Formats: sequence, C-alpha cells, structure tokens
Amino acid sequence: MEPPRGEARQEGLIEFYGSFREMFEFFCKNTTIHGTIRLVCSSSNRMKTAFWTLLLLASFGMLYWQFGLMFRQFWAYPVVLTMSMHSEPKMFPAVTVCNLHPYRFELVSEHLEQLDQMAAESITFLYGINASAWLFRVNASKIHGNNRKIHGNNEKTRNKDGKIHENDRKIHENDRKIRIKDRKIRVNARKIRRSDRKIQESDRKIQESDRKIQDSDRKIQESDRKIHAQTLAKLNSSGFKLSHNFSLLRVSDLRAGRKHSSVGFRLCNSTGGNCFYKTFSSGMDAILEWYRFHYMNIMSQLPAIINISQHEEPIEDVVYSCQYNGEPCRPSDYDHFHHPVFGSCYTLNSKGTDPFWTATKPGIPYGLSLILRAEQKEHIPLLSTAAGVKVMIHSHNQTPFLEHEGFHIRPGIATTIGIQQDEVNRLGGNYGKCTTNGAGVAVELLYNSSYTLQACLHSCFQRWMLRECGCGYSRYPLPAGRARHCDYGAHPAWGHCFYQLYRRLRSHRLDCFQQCPKPCRESLYKVSAGTAKWPSAKSQDWVLQALRHQNGYNSSSSRKELAKVSIFYRQLRSQALHEAPLLSENLLLSSMGSQWSLWFGSSVLSVLEVLELLADALVLALLCCFRRLRATGRPPAPESSGERQEEPREGQQGAQGSGMGLPRHPELELEGFGSSRELGRE
Amino acid sequence: AATAPGKKITARLKRTLPVRGPQAPTLSELMRWYCLNTNTHGCRRIVVSRGRLRRLLWILLTLSAVGLILWQCAELLMNYYSASVSVTVQFQKLPFPAVTICNINPYKYSAMKEYLSELDKETKKALETFYGFSEGKSKVRRSVDDWNSTGSDFFQQIPLLKVEDFSRTATDLHSGQKRKIEGSVFHKDSSIVNSGDSNDIIGFQLCDANNSSECALYTFSSGVNAIQEWYKLHYMNIMAQIPLETKEQLSYSAEDLILTCFFDGLSCDKRHFTRFHHPLHGNCYTFNSGENGTILSTSTGGSEYGLQVVLYIDEADYNPFLVTSTGAKIIVHDQNEYPFIEDIGTEIETAAATSIGMHFTQSRKLSKPYSDCTETGDDIPVENLYNKSYSLQICLHSCFQKAMVDSCGCAQYAQPLPAGAEYCNYKKNPNWMYCYYRLHEKFVKEQLGCQQICKDACSFKEWALTTSIAQWPSIVSEDWMLRVLSWDKGQKLNKKLNKTDLANLMVFYKDLNERFISENPANTLVILLSNFGGQLGLWMSCSVVCVIEIVEVFFIDSLSIVMRRQWQKAKKWWNGRQRRSSGKAPQARDLERQGHDNPVCIDEELPTFTTALRLPLPQDSPLPRTPPPNYSTLRLDTAFAEQLPDTLELGQH
Repeated sequence: MEPPRGEARQEGLIEFYGSFREMFEFFCKNTTIHGTIRLVCSSSNRMKTAFWTLLLLASFGMLYWQFGLMFRQFWAYPVVLTMSMHSEPKMFPAVTVCNLHPYRFELVSEHLEQLDQMAAESITFLYGINASAWLFRVNASKIHGNNRKIHGNNEKTRNKDGKIHENDRKIHENDRKIRIKDRKIRVNARKIRRSDRKIQESDRKIQESDRKIQDSDRKIQESDRKIHAQTLAKLNSSGFKLSHNFSLLRVSDLRAGRKHSSVGFRLCNSTGGNCFYKTFSSGMDAILEWYRFHYMNIMSQLPAIINISQHEEPIEDVVYSCQYNGEPCRPSDYDHFHHPVFGSCYTLNSKGTDPFWTATKPGIPYGLSLILRAEQKEHIPLLSTAAGVKVMIHSHNQTPFLEHEGFHIRPGIATTIGIQQDEVNRLGGNYGKCTTNGAGVAVELLYNSSYTLQACLHSCFQRWMLRECGCGYSRYPLPAGRARHCDYGAHPAWGHCFYQLYRRLRSHRLDCFQQCPKPCRESLYKVSAGTAKWPSAKSQDWVLQALRHQNGYNSSSSRKELAKVSIFYRQLRSQALHEAPLLSENLLLSSMGSQWSLWFGSSVLSVLEVLELLADALVLALLCCFRRLRATGRPPAPESSGERQEEPREGQQGAQGSGMGLPRHPELELEGFGSSRELGRE
Repeated sequence: AATAPGKKITARLKRTLPVRGPQAPTLSELMRWYCLNTNTHGCRRIVVSRGRLRRLLWILLTLSAVGLILWQCAELLMNYYSASVSVTVQFQKLPFPAVTICNINPYKYSAMKEYLSELDKETKKALETFYGFSEGKSKVRRSVDDWNSTGSDFFQQIPLLKVEDFSRTATDLHSGQKRKIEGSVFHKDSSIVNSGDSNDIIGFQLCDANNSSECALYTFSSGVNAIQEWYKLHYMNIMAQIPLETKEQLSYSAEDLILTCFFDGLSCDKRHFTRFHHPLHGNCYTFNSGENGTILSTSTGGSEYGLQVVLYIDEADYNPFLVTSTGAKIIVHDQNEYPFIEDIGTEIETAAATSIGMHFTQSRKLSKPYSDCTETGDDIPVENLYNKSYSLQICLHSCFQKAMVDSCGCAQYAQPLPAGAEYCNYKKNPNWMYCYYRLHEKFVKEQLGCQQICKDACSFKEWALTTSIAQWPSIVSEDWMLRVLSWDKGQKLNKKLNKTDLANLMVFYKDLNERFISENPANTLVILLSNFGGQLGLWMSCSVVCVIEIVEVFFIDSLSIVMRRQWQKAKKWWNGRQRRSSGKAPQARDLERQGHDNPVCIDEELPTFTTALRLPLPQDSPLPRTPPPNYSTLRLDTAFAEQLPDTLELGQH
C-alpha cells in the first residue's frame, strides 16, 4: 500500500481528467446527489434509466417549485406583529402645559386692535348689531386693556385727572365753605367784606385749578398725539395693512330645491382669477377661520426669532405648584416657548435624562401633580373659544403639536389623568419604510427635535409652500435662508395658494405622505381621565388664601380660575408591539435545506460539486479545442486517439493510459479512481 | 512444541479475520477512511479530488459548511425561547367586574371633630400665622378632650416652619422664634413655583429622636401641598390610634353613600354592596364583590345594562385640610384583586353624570424561561399582606411595609398590618416619621431592593375605561328629581338635597367582546428539530446519524489511535529496557521492520482485553493460550479491505 501523503508533493495543483467520459464517470460515482448514481449504475437497463431520469426530473421540478413558493413568500417580506409586556422602570413622559393666552405683542397690537374691530364689523354685517354688541363691548375693553403703550400713557393722564379731581374736591369744599359763609353773611353783615375776600380768594383758587385742568388737558392731548405719531411710524415702518379684500360674506346656493346659506370668504390668485369661496356651514367656524387667517398675517410681521425673554412669563405665573413623586419639581426642568394660538407653553421633563423623573411606582401619589392658573381675562376672544389649560403628554425631545394631540383641562376641576405607555417598534429595511431618528428622509426637518411623522409632514408642507407660493406658512418654522413668512402685504394671493395646497395635501396628492416614513420606534400614551370638583367648598377658603399669599394669586375668590392636574402611570407595565419577520433568513435556509434533503438528499456542497463539474467540463472542452488546433498544425498523435476509442471497453486501463499530455501524476489519479470503483461496486 | 500450535492458530485467525477498517493505523488513514465512507457531503470530495488546489478548496468548503451549520443552529437555539402572541376576540357573556366606590372624604368631619379639633386648631393657627388667613365664621371649638390632650406636644415637636432660604433660619409656628436649621436640608433649591417677592417656603422638619442633630427639612413648592402633607402626617398618627370598629362607625354607611342603585335593568340595594375599609378613604363599598359566591354578569352591553348609582356626597361634611376636591372615587377591578383606590382610582364629579364604558382585556404571559413573571406569587420572598391574589402593586406595598416594620418597628398606616405589628403613632414610636421619610426616599431610589424582588404577575385582567361627563341633573328635571331623592332618603335627612351633593355614575360594558391576549411558545421542540434538520441537510446533507458518526470517528477513534500510539511508545521503551537487561535486541528489531510503526503489525497479538485495558503483556509466556475474542472483526470496512490489494497491484505496476 502506497501512503498517498508521501508523494503529495508531486501532485499537481489542479489535475484534469483525460476525457469527458472519464470525468462524467468520476462525477457520477463520486457525487452525493441521490439518484444520479442509480442513473449511471443502471445504464445497462434502458427501462431503469428512463425511470430514474423521470424520477430525478420530477423531484427536481418539485424542489424548484417549492423553492419558488418559498422565495416568493420571503421577498414579499411578510411581518408578524408580536406583542410583549414590559414592566421595567421607565422615565415619566414629557408634559407640555399651555395657558391659552397668546401675547399681544406690542409690535402688532395696533393691527390686532384693527382686526378686532373688523371682526366686530363683519359680525354686525352678517348677524346685525345685536349679535355683535357684546363683542364690541369686549373689544372696546380689550382695546383699552391691551394696548399697553396707550395704557401707560393713559396712566399718566389719569394721574393728572386724579389731581384735577382733587382740585375739584377742594373747590367743592370751598363752595361748601362759601355757603356756610353766605349763611353767616345773612346773619352777620359785618362779616360780608371779609367773606367776600374769602370768596375772591377761593375764586382765585378755582381759576387756578381751572388752569391746571387746562394744563393737564393739554398734556393729555399732547401724549395722545405722541402715541398716534408713534403708531403711525410703526405702521409705516412695517408697511403692513389689514386687507379688506377678504371680508366675510353670506353665500347662498340652491340645493335640492332649498336655499342653503353658508358663510365664508373669497380667495383669489394673484391675477384675481380662479377665485373660490372658503365657506363653512356654521358662521362660527367661518368667523374663527377668517380670524385666524388674518391673525396669521399679523403674526408673520413679527421677526422670526421673537425675543421671548422680553416677554418671559415665569412659569410661576402659570404653574402654581408642581410636584413629582412627592417632591417639588426642579427649576431647570422646564422649557418655555410661545405658541401663537395657545400662548405660553411650558414643557416639563422635555429632555428625559434627569433621574429625578424616573417612574418607580404606579399611582397618583407617585405621579406629577400641578396646580395651574386658568385665567380667562386677556384671551383674544376670537382665536380660541375654549377656556382652561391645554395639556399634552408626549415623548421626550419631541416637538409638541398641541393642535393635534393636546387636550383641554377644565378650570375649577381636579383632573386625574392615568396614562399607559404603548410602544411600537417597526422593523424597517425591506419590511416596510420607517426611519430611526430621521435618517434617510428626503425632507429636511425644520424642527429642532427628534423625528416624528407630524414634524416631517409639516416640514414637507412648508417646503411645498415655499415652492408654490413663495413664502412660508407662518405657523411652521422657516428653513435657513432668505425665506419669509406669508402675509398678504407681500404676497396678496398666498391664502388662495395655501388653501389649494392644503386641499391637495389632504387628498394625498402631495407626495408628503410618501416622503415621510413612520418612525421605527414610537411611544404612544393612552390616556384616561377622571374629574372631581376642586377646591371643595370647604377647603376653598384656605387653599385660595395660601395660593394668594405664596404665589401672588390675586383674583376674586372664584375656583373657576384654578385647575389641578395629576398625571400618573396607571401601571408601569407597557405593551410593546414589535414587528418580526414571518420568515427570517435563518428559517428560510432551514426550510430550503429540508426541501433539498427531502427531494434530493443533497446539500449546498452537492451543488458545488455540480459547479465543479461544469467548470471542469468547460476547461476540458477548451483543452480539446486547443489540442485539435495543435493537431491540425502538426500531424496528429495516433496513440491518444486510439486510446480514446478503447476507453468504453476497459475503462480503467484506458483512463490510466489517457495521458493527453496533461501534467499529472498517474499514481494519484488512479488511486482515486480505484477507490471510486470500489464505491460503485458496493 | 507447545508454542507452535498456538502460533498457528493466531496466524490463521489473522488471515481469516484481519484487523482493518476504523482501526486504521494512523490518524490520516482514519480520516481517509472516514471521508470515503461517510454520508456527509464534501468530505468524500476532499479525498477523491485530483489536484492540491482542488483538495484545498474542498477542505475550505466543507469547513465553511460546518461553520455555517454551527452558526445557524446557534441562532435557532437562541431564538428558541421566544414567544408569539395570539389575540383572540370572543363574544360571550362577561362576568361583571367588582366596582369599588369611595367618597373622597374618608370620615364625616362632624363626627371626627372630637379627634381632630386639636390638629385643626393648629392648622388654622398656622394658616393665620403664615398667610393671615382667619376663618371668621367657623369657631374653633374649645372643648378639647382629655383623650387628645397629649397630642399637642407632638404638634410642637413637628411644627410647620417658614424657611427663609438664604439665611437657613426657620420661624417656628409656635414660639415665633427663629431657629437655626441643623442637619441636611432637603429640596433646598426646590421650588420652581416660588413667587419672586416672598422667598420663604413652608415646610416641616423631621428629626431623629435618638440623635437630634440628624434632621431633614421637608419643603414644598406650594403652601397648599405643605399644609396638606403636614396635616396628613399628624392625621395618620391620630387615626392609627383609633380602633377599626370606631373608624367604621365614623365613616359613611352604605345608606349614606348610595341613594339609588340599578343593575342590568333591575333595582339593587345596599345588600349588593360589600363594605371594605380603606385606611385612607374610609368605608368603601364594593359592588359585585363575589363575597357570597355569585358573580353577576351582564346580558348585553350598553349603558342601560350596567351599574347605575346615584351617590350622595355630603360636601358640607368634608374635612377641609385632608381633601381638597369633592366627589367620589371608583375603581373597576377583579373580584380577587385588591382595589388600590388611592393609587389608580378614577375620580367622579358631583352635579354630573359620569358614564364609564369598559373594555375587557385578559392577558397571559408565559412564565419562566420566556419572561420573568410569576404565576401565583408563591416564589417571591415577600409575604402578601393583602388577602387577595398577587400583583406587582401588592408586592411593592408589602415589601415596603415589611421594611418599615423591620427598620422603624411599626407599620405604616396606609397599608395593611403584618402579623404581630401595629400601626405607627408618635405616642409609641416617636421616631417613626423621620424613619418613614428616610425609608420612603430609599424606596424611591430603589435602594430597598423591592423593585428587584417583585415581579410582574403572569396573568392579569384589565378593564380599559372611557369616561364621559354630562351635566346632571338638567335644569328642568332638577326640581322634581331632588325632591324625590330627598323623600327617598327619608326622615333621617332633614335638609333638602343640593345638586352639588349628588353624583350620578354609570359603569357598563361597551360591548361584550373579550380580548384575550396570550403568549404561546413560538417554537416547539418539533419545530426546532426540523429546523436543525433543515440546516444540517442544506449545508452538508448531514443527519443525526452522521453527527454520531463524526463523534465516533473524530473523538472515539482518533483518541484511541492516539492512545495506542502512546501505548506503543511506552511498550517500545519498556522493550528496550528489557532488551538491554536480557539482550533480546534482534527480535524487537524484527518486529519493527515488520511494519514500521504500524501498531497492528507491531502487535503480535490481536487487540485483547488486556491490550484494551493497557495491561502489560507477559512477553515471553511459554504457554499456549486460547486466542482472545476479536472485536474489531465486527466492523464493516469493505473499502479498506479491497483497497489494499488494489494499491498493492498499483505498486507492482
């Protein structure tokens, strides 16, 4: 027996077969694909060969049919939704609280005043004087109450008035004295001269005070003139005027034989054509929408970055008491921003990194408890008709879209809000479009916070606005650059453009819904609430007194201006929904393997064997061609061709002798061949 | 002469039953034999391929297939303990849950006067001192019972303080004198809600009675909270001393609370309610508690077929300092669950009709290897103090109570009593409050280990509530309704009912669909094995048999070859020594020549029990022996058997 390792050194790098027949025989005898051996072994029996060929082909067909089914299922990327319950400690969500009291910025207060007047006029026009009488009154008081500049100046004049009043009082006193003196005159004529002198004196005083009155009057006029000049200058500088083109109208149309009337306003494009009415069946909606439209135009006058610090309302003015887990909240825990409709907003726990805000236990005592001021005094009456406080519970680092997900808190009520967290995890990739933190989204996010679908839609819409209308919708932030917010001073047709575009967005004709994928990881907060009267009649007195003293709460003792909110986890268990692939690669391979084994009893390595066979066949064919070419060039070598014909008869000897001029080691090759023969015989 | 027949027999045996096959002389022979005979794919190719590169390629391919199998199977194993969730929605007659209703105010204030007068006086005094608040109309009763006369000492011990932040001095409520705060001040930078002008905060100081320098100052962002917390602290001390029977007397009776009751279209009364005394909420009444063994169920969903009650909330009899809101608290729970009304109760408003729609969901998780939850709570080393079925909430509370009893020596008032302990009050445990606050802080910071010990329950029922509120009674119906209700209430109440004293509550199933969420094992053993089979088949067309084969060849046979080698070496060395001593060198050399280091050839004898046991053979035993049984003949090794003549033939060629 020859040890093969001993001569492995002399073995060629790759050795080829002498002929195709040899190759096939080698393959059939050594391959591991079931059936092929039978096919070759039973070559003498035609019947058997046909049978085995058929069997092989049938199982081959079955296999690939099954593979096809499997791959079709895999490439459809089906997902199953698996649900799991988690109960690990987690962070308390971010809570945003708004006081529904937008500022009347000094810069635009004049316009707001005009707008209020316009609104009053419109209502008078639509519903008659009676309907708007209250609004006039309200507006009149508003105008006075809120124009702070005028207010300040008026304060001075009022001081003057006070002095005048004081003088008047003195005069009255003098008059009374005079009357007494008169009586005395009647009684005692001697005193007439003296009292006359006194009368003259008092007259002089009266004159003096009259002069003072005139003086102060003059001052008032002067200050009024100053104010007027100032406002004029302001108006001139901004170059913005409220437009009367968009007045509210009553539109009536004939439908089903009956006359329907609706209220709306007309919007046209820049050339004045393509007009349409934005109408509402209810006049209230129409007025609100109309008011908001104008309000937005006014608000767009404000510089992009409003210096809020100038208007900084400390959180103490809105949140009287804040406790979390039985401990007072920390001063650093809130963000302040101003919302044009919902006023001053404070976000508690906006970052979600402070360990102070971890939720350790479910239940009201371990949640967030707030006492809020819900004043109704200085609201802009036509902007929002609701009173109370707007609250929104959302994830950390997320821009709160209060108009979408916020809810109102009634004043005079203690509201307990139980929350429960739901988590949604999407697979992403091939299994459905989703994005982790905005990566790979075509829309540039205008909000400086983590990705949400809503933020993306807003950004997308803003981009469309800029492209189509040339200016940005004033509710949404602007991208960096020279873009400006819309107002009808600069862009008279923006309203038309906006409403058209908005309709297109709503009917999914803008590509925003396609461009904005869902976030891969989302937290949803399910909310359920209970309410109770607060403060109770019995405790009202001391509670109000304590608040008055500590927080400077100065109001008539009405509980309608306070609200208590408790937000707590109902349970720390959260439901998490995960998408999982129905057919993972792992399982796909497993089932492929099972199929393969079932039909062929072969494996990936068998496939590689076939591949090797093909490669060998190719090389062999090339070599044959090469040899034939050389043979045509030279006289053919007789021995090789003769040997080839011998091969079918006595395979071993022929194969052994078929050198074909290839560099190979005969011993080794034959040794391998020999062993394969044994297997075949077996 | 005696040795000759024995030798003959062995020679014959050698001829007829040759040692071959897996008993291959060398490792490489064994591998070769294995590769040619195994059923796994790839291996055979390594041997039969022509060319070194080809061979190398096949070795690499086979090894990578093995690697892939191992990787994929490891992944399958790792995913074995995953659970899939099935959600079934079924329509059925649902058992109505237990509904526990409490008045927010625990005890009738008028009845509590005798216990609380001292405390109230103190509170009013504090309000007057700090806020200039004087309640002109209500006179503080001077009649202080002897019972409570000692209480005032304690009020002085733990007074409300006005803290001036910067100077760290506090004004005592009683003496009015300033005192320096010692020890650590908690929440020093506390209030975000601290008005600009008055920098003082209200709080109280708790000191360790044994070590008076150990003090903690508790301040609050709002005076409202401070006063309520302080009041509650003293209130609990007082309540802890009142026996349960008295407390039940002091609280509301079922007739007091429930004016009308209507369930599933039928009238019900106080007999359907079970009293349940809650330490913080007084007497609560559980509807459908299942106490008498029957659990009611509703025939149809909808508000008409649920529970409808009108509650009498006597706002005038409220404790002004303990509770500040008016209304009732309700909780919907399972009959076996403990109602944690103070934690997750839903409040309902007076002068309103609150309708609460329910959705029933039942969830079941798989326990141990799948997730960390407990079925019954028996495996958790915390004693369940509540006489109800296990829940996480119960475990946390019990754990805290246990820690409280261990470290403070008495039990906290809001939770049930463990055996042999009693509620804290500062007559007996003057130190408890400081201890409690310290402990609670530890608990919140998860230093007590309760959060680690307590596990979630595996199955739980949940009623998702949707609340809506309407004005009630309407202006038109108010008049007659109040009249009728007053008449119903009878002579006991001599005043006319006010609508702010009433609350209407409806609890009903929105629909009778039961959502059942259950986890099932995603993989069974059958699926796992078939996946294993798939992986093995895919890469190498291998089966369990071939795995066994691999174990046999690579571990048992290889090892035996290696061992035999070692044995040969040892034997050679032994022979050498023997030879040196007795001078029998040539024989040994003969043996060596016979078959280089082939152990089969070297061996004179066939493998026997003695060789297998590695016992030294008696070398020159002159006696003939019966040949030992040859076990290796049982092995099938045709390939080798016929290969040998082949190779010989080649050699001759």
